[in-house]
Amino acid sequence: MATIFKSFLNNDVATTRTLLHEAVPITGTIPSGTYTAEANIKNYAHGMFQSVYDYPYLSSSANHIFDITVGYHSTSPLSQSSPNDYAQQGKKINIYNQMAQLLVGHDETGSIRKFDADGDLSGGTKMDACVFINFARLLGKDELKKGSFSMTFATGGNPPRRQYSTSADPNATISINDSGSNTDYRVNSPAGEYGILYVNRAGGDVLTHKAGLIYYQAGVAVITSSLWRGGYPITNDGGSAAQPRNQFGPPGSGSYNFSSHSASINAMLSGSSISGSCDGLRNSLTTLSFNNTTELNSTIYFCRASHNEFNYTSNPTYLNASKIVTKNKSTDMPVSYITSVGLYSADNELLAVAKLSEPLKKTPTNELTLRVRLDY
Amino acid sequence: MAFLDNSGDIILDAVLTDTGRMRLARGDGSFKIAKFAFADDEVDYGNYDKNHSSGSAYYDLEIMQTPVLEAFTNNTSSMKSKLISISRTNLLYLPVIQLNQIFAGTSTQMHTDGYFLVAVDETTEDELFGAATAITGVQGAARPSEDGNHVRLDQGLDTTQISPSNLLDADLTETQYIVELDNRFGSLVDKAGSTMASVSFVDDDHIASYYLSLGTDNLFVETNSVTDAATGTQTISGPRGTIIAFKFQASVDLNSSTFLFTELGSETSYTGAGGSKTYYFIDSIVRVTGATTGYKVDVPVRFVKYKG
Repeated sequence: MATIFKSFLNNDVATTRTLLHEAVPITGTIPSGTYTAEANIKNYAHGMFQSVYDYPYLSSSANHIFDITVGYHSTSPLSQSSPNDYAQQGKKINIYNQMAQLLVGHDETGSIRKFDADGDLSGGTKMDACVFINFARLLGKDELKKGSFSMTFATGGNPPRRQYSTSADPNATISINDSGSNTDYRVNSPAGEYGILYVNRAGGDVLTHKAGLIYYQAGVAVITSSLWRGGYPITNDGGSAAQPRNQFGPPGSGSYNFSSHSASINAMLSGSSISGSCDGLRNSLTTLSFNNTTELNSTIYFCRASHNEFNYTSNPTYLNASKIVTKNKSTDMPVSYITSVGLYSADNELLAVAKLSEPLKKTPTNELTLRVRLDY
Repeated sequence: MAFLDNSGDIILDAVLTDTGRMRLARGDGSFKIAKFAFADDEVDYGNYDKNHSSGSAYYDLEIMQTPVLEAFTNNTSSMKSKLISISRTNLLYLPVIQLNQIFAGTSTQMHTDGYFLVAVDETTEDELFGAATAITGVQGAARPSEDGNHVRLDQGLDTTQISPSNLLDADLTETQYIVELDNRFGSLVDKAGSTMASVSFVDDDHIASYYLSLGTDNLFVETNSVTDAATGTQTISGPRGTIIAFKFQASVDLNSSTFLFTELGSETSYTGAGGSKTYYFIDSIVRVTGATTGYKVDVPVRFVKYKG
């Protein structure tokens, strides 16, 4: 009986799960918008966050990288009820509550929990005012890889941040990462696993100064505003104090008198709009990198051709007046060549097809097993 | 599609077809891979030089260098010529499927344009069948039972080296045929035009597949019992296997509307009962495949509709 199909047996099909990682390095010129004159930074009428693209966002070639926003809790010292609210105070509180609700959850009374510096929700230091960096799924994929996240901010010099390298303390930066999180992470978040971000100065201070949280499955970095308030080591603290000289203001504005303005992180979070705060933070971001993770669930089909199978073909060029062109006499071995593998349903519908990069010779003297992997 | 890089290790480039994705999206369990087949679409066996002076290592040198295209996602564009499993290795001849245009006079003949002309409404039938000079290769698809014209394909060993009086080996005899036809244009009926075939499934490209088996679909598939040369009625010169015969029933869309003709076709003129007139037409392919031997024949069909 001539046949063209061969049915899969149970041991011809296997399923596997593979984690695929990609390195995602982002240079500071992208979030600062330097090279596109900020055409890659998208602001919205509601003003609740900014979106950063890798190219002018009006172009169809642009890829969304991350969103950035800020917020603080209603009990934060930054929150003021009288005589006047601070700029966009309601929206900043809403942002904080929204992110906390999603990432930290609610307590037993149904109240939204605050972000906790060490992940121990029973007490300890709470993060009242935070910067949120939400990575696009395009880059973060299924999750961020634990232990791969790092960010560096410029801290010294005078605003605008773009000019930090020519100012005093030209190399003053502060770096944060999730060092050690591949073996030490938390699971008490409704949004999945998260690690603790630490300030890391090369050569010391590892795992000492907590700077925020990184939620791996949610793809969100939560950075405490305390990072810019002092007490943290910076890479070039040869100045008067081990305290970042952060000043935030509108980028590129030479007329803005920073010397008469406190321009601290607190002043920025309370006095500036959300997008104004994001401008300052983006412009102090010098590097950002992480590895993403794609979870590949695969089914592997082992297509086995025994010695007495698939040695003939229905290719029209195979016959000349019904005679097999590769044979001179009947005792010659038949030969065929495989270039494609088709995977079929029981009712003979072609569901998947695989192509070999070069023809594979099949004769009665050999047996082949082709391993076709379908990823989902 | 580009060629696959064949400069290094052999790689396997796998994709889901459009039908595969459609079934996966349907979520009803219809995406279930049950079997596989191999194909050699790119290979030209004419390049196999079995008399190469340098020896057998050089016989398939050109074939092994054949560049292979990336996988197509269209399910009907891949796996054209499948490899066949036959346990015997001493076969020198393999069966083919051929159009038989000489059986019973002109009733199985194509038009001189190289198509079977399928008249999709009664007006067109009246015009074409009523021509002063008979037009060959016309089949009525509005009233398919009223003319005896049909498509016939014969299977067997088309060689004069083996007498047709020899029986075709059982493992080379085709017992099931797959007929694929664009479902928008029509459906399959038996050669008498009285019984419609039941469609197995219609894919995402509107291609309907009909499975017709010997013993089950006797109005379509039968054994070819002619064992003499019979050169006036037979196209298979050697041992003969089975015959498949069919014609078409026009779809309602083609019968009652010109939409598909203007969308997919064009216009031409034929000299019918009313002289030279303009007709809409759509050219299509009806594919007949042997389900067990894998041999495939494309039958060219032109659906025509009288315009005026």
